[in-house]
Amino acid sequence: MDSDGHFDHAAGRALDTAVAQGAQYADVRFEVARTERIEVRNGVVAALADSTSAGFGIRALVDGAWGFAACREGGDGAIDAAAARAVALARAGAAVGRRRIGSAPERAYVDRFVTPVQRDPATVPLGDRVALLLEAERLLHAAPDISVGRAWIDLWRTSKYFYSTIGSRIVQEILQSGAGLEAMAIGNGDVQTRNYPGDVGLYQSGGWEIVEAAALLDGAPRIADEASQLLRAPQCPSGTFDVILGGSQMSLQLHESCGHPAELDRVMGWEANFSGTSFLEIEQLGKLRYGSGAVTIVVDNTLDRGMATCGYDDEGTRSGRSDVVREGILAGYEMSNDTARAIGRESNACVRAQSWDFVPMIRMCNLNLLPGNVPFEGLFEDVRDGIYMESNRSWSIDDRRLNFQFGCEIGWEVKNGKRGRMLKNPTYAGMTPVFWNSCDAVGDERSWFAWGTPNCGKGEPMQTGRTTQASAPARFRNVSVGTGYDG
Amino acid sequence: MDRLILTATDRERIAQRALALSRADQTEVLVSTADAALMRFTHETSNQNVASSDAGISVRAIVDGRTGVAQTNRFDDEALAGVVSRAADLAALAPRDPLQGTLPAGAPAAAPPGAYDAATARMGADARAAMCDTIFGEAERTGCWSAGFAATSSSGLTVANTAGALASFDGTDASVNVKMNGADSTGFAEAYAAAAGVIDASAVARTAAEKARASAGPRAVDPGEWTVILEPAAFGELFIYLSDHFSAQSYDDGSSFCSEGLDRRYFSENVSVYDDYSHPLAPGMPFDFEGYPTQRLTLVENGVVRNIVTDSYYARKLDRPNTGHALPAPNSYGPQPRNVAVAGGSKPLAQLIAETSRGLLVTRLWYVRPVDRKRAILTGMTRDGTFLVENGQIAHGVRNLRFNASLLDALRACEFSQEQRRTGSYHYSLVVPAAKIAGFGFTSTTDF
Repeated sequence: MDSDGHFDHAAGRALDTAVAQGAQYADVRFEVARTERIEVRNGVVAALADSTSAGFGIRALVDGAWGFAACREGGDGAIDAAAARAVALARAGAAVGRRRIGSAPERAYVDRFVTPVQRDPATVPLGDRVALLLEAERLLHAAPDISVGRAWIDLWRTSKYFYSTIGSRIVQEILQSGAGLEAMAIGNGDVQTRNYPGDVGLYQSGGWEIVEAAALLDGAPRIADEASQLLRAPQCPSGTFDVILGGSQMSLQLHESCGHPAELDRVMGWEANFSGTSFLEIEQLGKLRYGSGAVTIVVDNTLDRGMATCGYDDEGTRSGRSDVVREGILAGYEMSNDTARAIGRESNACVRAQSWDFVPMIRMCNLNLLPGNVPFEGLFEDVRDGIYMESNRSWSIDDRRLNFQFGCEIGWEVKNGKRGRMLKNPTYAGMTPVFWNSCDAVGDERSWFAWGTPNCGKGEPMQTGRTTQASAPARFRNVSVGTGYDG
Repeated sequence: MDRLILTATDRERIAQRALALSRADQTEVLVSTADAALMRFTHETSNQNVASSDAGISVRAIVDGRTGVAQTNRFDDEALAGVVSRAADLAALAPRDPLQGTLPAGAPAAAPPGAYDAATARMGADARAAMCDTIFGEAERTGCWSAGFAATSSSGLTVANTAGALASFDGTDASVNVKMNGADSTGFAEAYAAAAGVIDASAVARTAAEKARASAGPRAVDPGEWTVILEPAAFGELFIYLSDHFSAQSYDDGSSFCSEGLDRRYFSENVSVYDDYSHPLAPGMPFDFEGYPTQRLTLVENGVVRNIVTDSYYARKLDRPNTGHALPAPNSYGPQPRNVAVAGGSKPLAQLIAETSRGLLVTRLWYVRPVDRKRAILTGMTRDGTFLVENGQIAHGVRNLRFNASLLDALRACEFSQEQRRTGSYHYSLVVPAAKIAGFGFTSTTDF
């Protein structure tokens, strides 16, 4: 038996048991997840932790209803019990459900995927990793007023083994890495925070090269200085301005106002009680002018360094690329097998589970705004009176994803094409399609970057997803600014 | 057999095995177990019916003031030896923290009555499905479609350390959450309890359906300053953002609203807030994640902030008593309140509404986020049942609005209902009354 076949026996037993109990289809996903976190806070190592979690989750389909049961133990008794529990859950749901919404996937794969890695983090001595964070965090305190400094590294290594009753056997070795800094300045009756490189740090799939790309030692002095300066910076004005959003804020804008509303389960009401529904209704597909012609948004789960990049999703569908918005027009959704069939399409592999003990569901994966052709500096050129904003601080959007208000850590005036003085507490607001239709320029490929988010929440039980929204900075005309302080 | 819960005896045995393996100066072991199940539904159909069983061990090793933490969810001899030695290995790499002192020895801490219900721990898929079926029936009777869930869980935690602490707790939880969807309106209701048997799923569904009916044909109102009456689910969504301000860490680093000092008046006289693990609506764990007994604390007394919560580290750092509010190590959040309860007022909710000449009654909020930490300015949307109140009567439903308001200001201009409810979400559980707040700022509306 090869190492990939370590779970062959257990998987066979789980699937056989589920079928014997009455499942018309079943799949089982074994996972071993290792997470390492180091965090330095004010010169003290607040976290130096290493965690391993292993277990499996089995999904069973009975009469159009799904059941899912997960267990940490891998012995025969536990496997039999979990398979039987999954079938019992499916049967209980089928007994009271008024509709049949589940159906078995049709395409099986036998394959292997490994995240491309330039340098395995395991080759970097732990002492060196701690030393890097201690030094980066120390540099934050060189600026005045910094009351809290934080520096961190996260390393997530997940081995997945997926089997299904239609013959899939997929092994995936996924490595995701992240690092970041936070400087909190307190004074003048105020609290101001800067994070680096983006508002959550830098998170991508890959190895130690991601931590190196974060360049913590280079960024620390600048963001600490900015946090300190913000305590004395003027308040961002309220009014209507042209707005230029930096890349990491564009990632958040995409995430909240396109990524979530384009989840087809949400469109179909499956998230209605919690995360909400969507204004991107199925009848609007191919018709709705979501944004301007400058706006093309794709799902691409093959993206280099994307947090959601993998070979197959957690239903066993192969990763690919598909349109969500093509030149401003709504063109597609993030889909699972069940939801795609409901609209006559095929899944685009957007199903993920947080870990072995969570049911797979539609998650925002890599959802990217394709680059335009305007150099970053060019975004400023014909802005007479505007605000440039960077790095998210506050984010809120209604439960159909229309009315949004976002705040950034830092802003600058833009007067007659030039970046001017620093502004604190910049916020802006709008209605999603109006806002995206006001986008008249997207930065070019040189400013395009795969910004990862490690903590996207959805579902009940609540699941955390790892997602990327690659974007360049972009420009929007006549935006409502300052609303967060207008109450 | 479908549940794999570890009993307190099992957990204590595992913890003692791990402690015996450790060669660190000090060692703390957390052994946890949980079995949780939830049926989620939409359009009167189950779209998720899930259950999971897990258990884990977390070992904190302290060697010469250096700390490392390792975790696993395996308990065989090799795994236990590995997790204990890994924690010590990690500790050796950390710099010495001069404030890292002796782990607390712990003391007896009795679980509050009603925290564990055996019937809830045993509840099966058919029983949860039956609760959902009741909700589906109400949706069909009222011409709505429903979305929500019915959930039950049991969990246990044992904390043991080399200073002699040994504490175990087992609890159960049950919840029903219903959103009823009409043609152009929605309504929401929820119920939480340690025992599933006290939850009336039918009543929850009726309340949600009635809100959807009453808010049909919503009309737009202008944003601006309004008197609002936030029902418990809505007020809880706001108040949870104040919880961290009572952490000794926030107090110490200056980011809390009360960092200027305790025993000062920050709110109006009718605001009193407690951290009470024994509240009958939300009985919880009587000790913290260091195994130290959790104190029942008055955080705010008639508008005056009296206490912050500490753990052993911040008790030492600030020379304050340890209140038993440690989170699991490692964390960078510091000690946190875990069982916040806002005291009720003197009038029933119906009277607060009846005394309102013009205002908005809000069922629920959504996507609340801080805009300004120090001033506790929060933004968010109303959701699932927002009503205009005129001359003491609910006039009609209104389209949803976005607010931007300071919670500190709100607590200086508020009164509370007599009734308290447990409310919550994935990240919190609170006991709160409804709150009537003057001058609450709305800045925009939305299309529904």
